[in-house]
Amino acid sequence: MTMDRRTVLGMGGAVAAGVLLAPGVQLIAAPPSNETSAAGSQRWAMLVDVNKCTPGCTACLDACRKENNVPLFGDPARDVHWIRKVEVQDKEHRRAPFTLPVLCNHCENPPCVHVCPTLASFIRKDGIVLIDEHRCIGCRYCMIACPYKARSLVYFSTRFPKDGNPRVPIRAKGVVEKCTFCVHRVDDGQLPACVETCQGSGQGAMIFGDINDPQSEIAQRVKTLRTETIRADLGLKPHVHYQGL
Amino acid sequence: MVLLRTVMIVLAVLVTGTALAGEQAADDLVLANGGVRLQKPKGKACIRPTEWMRRNHMDLLIHKQAMTVREGARMRSESLLQCQSCHPNREAFCDRCHDYAGVEPNCFECHNYPE
Ligand code: SF4
Ligand code: SF4
Repeated sequence: MTMDRRTVLGMGGAVAAGVLLAPGVQLIAAPPSNETSAAGSQRWAMLVDVNKCTPGCTACLDACRKENNVPLFGDPARDVHWIRKVEVQDKEHRRAPFTLPVLCNHCENPPCVHVCPTLASFIRKDGIVLIDEHRCIGCRYCMIACPYKARSLVYFSTRFPKDGNPRVPIRAKGVVEKCTFCVHRVDDGQLPACVETCQGSGQGAMIFGDINDPQSEIAQRVKTLRTETIRADLGLKPHVHYQGL
Repeated sequence: MVLLRTVMIVLAVLVTGTALAGEQAADDLVLANGGVRLQKPKGKACIRPTEWMRRNHMDLLIHKQAMTVREGARMRSESLLQCQSCHPNREAFCDRCHDYAGVEPNCFECHNYPE
């Protein structure tokens, strides 16, 4: 796939060069090489310290909605959620109820990708699971396949919000959407909006990084501390890790 | 009768002349492909030769779309968001030509075109 597209690009370049050589056509500057690219050596992951996640705090949820122009329709059954806060209470009441954010786990074996009939859902080289909204037909197989309830269907048309983030498109009616790990920010070397806000608000419950890089904080903490993933028994190898669960 | 006809012709010429002058005064309009009037671009050169862009911008956009979404190949200088730096008004450029050509691309159902 990749090679094909690159070959096509090369051919496009050859055609463009042919055009350039034609008389009377002005020369244009070579495209700048400021291009980013997802690297196969990386594996983006998140670590949430549940002990630091304060019940009642919605900083990450609000930041996500604002960053990604996630709509609220005011109908709980139809609302779109990229990240939710879940309250957990153990049956024996040995521990006080606590909360944790739940979002797309960017699974290493993502069932949502395996069931997608249009190849709209895919896993990027650096492990981020995405939906190519241009291809999604809204069949919702992926919503059934995802055991983490990470995906939502967009039931209604939306308008671009007045104070919306121009870097992130809104989604058309009838496609499925979910957390992207703020892929546009990650590609620019920034942290996902929820992580940045959680750190900024002083809770510091979330960290994000390349788990394949042994020097990174997340790799070291996952290696040295007792961390868990939700429903690890399913074998999907989620990459949102929790500490203190 | 002859006088009346002369007056009519003079008037018609005057009106046409004024209209033409008016349109020339609003010099942000250029003729493209003979028929459609588009807003004059601000920059010096497009990211590809104009003639090539006129026929192939949709293929370039779809190619860039696939590369960006699937491979994370983001080139800010050639992003859709950058088009507005030369074509500040979508209605006067993109939409006007699309209307003329009778095509309805749905890019802007989701993508923002900053004004
Ligand atoms: S959490 Fe759900 S949507 Fe995200 S990658 Fe895993 S299965 Fe897919
Ligand atoms: S709803 Fe879209 S992303 Fe999900 S399985 Fe169907 S086509 Fe794929």
